Amino acid sequence: MALVRVKGVLDHVLDKNLQDLVRGIRNHKDTEGKYISECIEEIKQELKQESLVVKANAINKLVYLQMLGYDISWAGFNIVEVMSSPKFTFKRIGYLAASQSFHDGTDVIMLTTNLVRKDLNSTNTYDAGVALSSLSCFMTGDLAHDLANDIMVLMTSTKPYLRKKAVLLMYKVFLRFPDSLKPAFGRLKEKLEDPDPGVQSAAVNVICELARKNPQNYLSLAPLFFKLMTTSTNNWVLIKIIKLFGALIPLEPRLGKKLIEPLTNLIHSTSAMSLLYECINTVIAVLISISSGLQNHATSVQLCVQKLQILIEDSDQNLKYLGLLAMTKILKTHPKSVQAHKELIMQCLDDKDESIRLRALSLLYGMVSKKNLMEIVKKLIVHMEKAEGAHYRDELLSKIIGICSQNDYRFITNFEWYVSVLVELAAHKGMKPAQGRAIANQLLDVAIRVQQVRRFAARQMSLLLRNHTFDKQRGGGGSAGLVEVLYAAAWICGEFAVCLAGDEESEDARRATLEAMSLPYVLQLPGEVQAVFVHNQVKLYANLLLAESDAEERVALTTELLTRLEQFVHSEDLEVQERAVCAHQLLKCTAKALRQAAASKTAAIFDVGDVATEDGAGSTAEADGDAVIDRVAKELSGLFAGELNPVAPKAQRKVPLPEGLDLDAWINEPPAPPKSEFDEPVKRKSGKSSGRKKEPEAAVSATVGASASGATNYSSSDPTVAWGGASGGGFEQKEYH
Amino acid sequence: MIKAILIFNNHGKPRLTKFYMHYAEDEQQQVIRETFQLVSKRDDNVCNFLEGGTLIGGQDYRLIYRHYATLYFVFCVDSSESELGILDLIQVFVETLDKCFENVCELDLIFHMDRVHFILNELVMGGMVLETNMNEIVARFEEQQKLQKSESGFSAMPNRAVSTVRDMNLSQKLRDIKIPDMPSFSSLYQ
Repeated sequence: MALVRVKGVLDHVLDKNLQDLVRGIRNHKDTEGKYISECIEEIKQELKQESLVVKANAINKLVYLQMLGYDISWAGFNIVEVMSSPKFTFKRIGYLAASQSFHDGTDVIMLTTNLVRKDLNSTNTYDAGVALSSLSCFMTGDLAHDLANDIMVLMTSTKPYLRKKAVLLMYKVFLRFPDSLKPAFGRLKEKLEDPDPGVQSAAVNVICELARKNPQNYLSLAPLFFKLMTTSTNNWVLIKIIKLFGALIPLEPRLGKKLIEPLTNLIHSTSAMSLLYECINTVIAVLISISSGLQNHATSVQLCVQKLQILIEDSDQNLKYLGLLAMTKILKTHPKSVQAHKELIMQCLDDKDESIRLRALSLLYGMVSKKNLMEIVKKLIVHMEKAEGAHYRDELLSKIIGICSQNDYRFITNFEWYVSVLVELAAHKGMKPAQGRAIANQLLDVAIRVQQVRRFAARQMSLLLRNHTFDKQRGGGGSAGLVEVLYAAAWICGEFAVCLAGDEESEDARRATLEAMSLPYVLQLPGEVQAVFVHNQVKLYANLLLAESDAEERVALTTELLTRLEQFVHSEDLEVQERAVCAHQLLKCTAKALRQAAASKTAAIFDVGDVATEDGAGSTAEADGDAVIDRVAKELSGLFAGELNPVAPKAQRKVPLPEGLDLDAWINEPPAPPKSEFDEPVKRKSGKSSGRKKEPEAAVSATVGASASGATNYSSSDPTVAWGGASGGGFEQKEYH
Repeated sequence: MIKAILIFNNHGKPRLTKFYMHYAEDEQQQVIRETFQLVSKRDDNVCNFLEGGTLIGGQDYRLIYRHYATLYFVFCVDSSESELGILDLIQVFVETLDKCFENVCELDLIFHMDRVHFILNELVMGGMVLETNMNEIVARFEEQQKLQKSESGFSAMPNRAVSTVRDMNLSQKLRDIKIPDMPSFSSLYQ
């Protein structure tokens, strides 16, 4: 017998322990996987042995391997064996392994109920202690149901160490077995006033978690918490309570008013930053909840802002960050108080910490006014130029756009300035497509909605196109985002071609723009951008043709564009090809008509018009060739006539319902129900169709036309929508309702 | 609630992982990797909070971490926890380790992961803060160690592991690294 024992001990001495395993892994850096699988085989052998010493050692090693990502669920039964060891040393290892690897789906958990109960009731404090701690990690519904009473008994243990663990564990019991909450709640409430601060803290913790899930049910505890808040000196407890109040305030406004004073006192008296910060947060929650009330809490606002200013000015990055975070919350209800600290927040944009810069940025958002918009945006652009990190730069760009466009451009007094800002942003290097699209959308939106700025915008866009061409020719190239902006630029130049015409101040930019839009580099642009380029070349051309008086020039212009369009006719992109082919054919007809008209001018041949014009069947003699040419030009630009105007969101309502239109009437009678057993569903179906009665507007929009459809303010801001006929490839007369 | 506590070194090697919500082993490894990616690219002089990681689910969660010498201590918490409070808690954790291991360094954590777990269990339980008083935590841990010693002569094997490994890079004492000055925090614990 003695010999067997000695042998067992010797075996144990030769076994690898945790340290040996770790060292082994470190010595097998290149063959770690192989080494570990050898070790796992060893462990499996060890677990087959009788000795708990060996088993516990094996399980301890498995816990380490679990951290490295190895599944150890296969050893579940052995873990339970080790947990049941009478020795604390092994028990602790078993419970550790269980807490790391057991979960709802672990089937051996059901074997643990009695074992855990025995440990909970053990006379050894630490047997119960490790059981409580570990159970908090693998509590299941069954365990909660079976052990709720044992844990509740421990809540009144004479040992504070076990009381606090039992109190915390009750939260897991409540989660898994909600019926236990009612009988346990009285006792839990008593623990709020436990003489031991640890137990008290645990009870506060549990109730705070419960209240977060269901605040309404815990309002009645407010007086008790209020008392704790004014008497406790434990900062952890205070923080939890104050956070809890933050959650309760929206439900009970009177609570907020009562809290202001004690919170203010704490703000003044505490030296713990963590407590100060949570107090400020809860005062802000109070201010938000009563902001609609008549009372004026200017002093509280002032106090918060003043304390936050101190945090933001602190050299500690964490305090700075949190200060800005809380400032953002005040901003919503008391923007003026925050605006006073504009300079301080601007300074944070220079901070080396990106998290802080982003926080400051989102604060700036709400601080903008008509007066300071230009200044803030200017500063942001400067920041963008020197900004490091693509993420922050993108964020800056979208913030600039966001700041300017918020509330329907409410803060913009000068749109020419805004267009220039957008152009400047578009030139940024390394811009991503998403950012480019945002800029493009803004340009389109502004050009369409603000009539006064169109001329300026069109000229800027023309410049942008021409400069881009210039860059391309010199081997440069824009960012991926710029391509998206070109889309908007081409559209604006085409749609508002008339704005590019020369006057006493500026030269005619149409011809140059047209040239820039049809250079070979366009072929490298994405399909959807190319399509817009092709289409708007025709628009520009139509406008030029109308303005040109010299017949030969007109012919030259047409042939030139014809040649240039040819490169798009064979595009691989269907949309581009279709548009190009259409445009090409149209121009061919035009060219023919122009040539014939020009010829008729000299040869004075009659009956030319029928070739050129659609209504020319059996046309009367149009002797003057110039008149024919004029007419061709007019017809052509007629295709693109009509001013694009913004549509107000409510405009649809003003469109009267056409007479005789009954949206509820069947267009086709529904088929008769095939069989009687389907009566039910059919009835329901007809119920659905009557539901349509409520949406006559939506139906009208479909009949009225594309430009008024959709819920966006101004549906025409997207050129593809405005061009209702474009998808069909034809150049239809636009309708703008 | 605390959702997870991770300790990993400057190369992303885990030294302790404690998940208070169930994740399969491969998901745990994924979380560790991604968290390391997020945290390791941050300078030491930036703030210690990271918002809304997609990995640990939802807007309500934040990563709060501290970097000591060769180790990162990362806590993933929801909004019921105070940011500064958790920073203090990490500090308490590290100081406790320092006391229990006498000048703790990464090697101590590597070779005695079990003990680190036992210490952590006295600090946090099931994702909720259990104790913040360092003396209480140390006392409880040491009592349990004593209990273990009394049970077996064999378990008290010498710490030969640590003494035989001579890895100068790793033995840098956590304590030697200057802990950010936050005089205002100390008030919480005194």
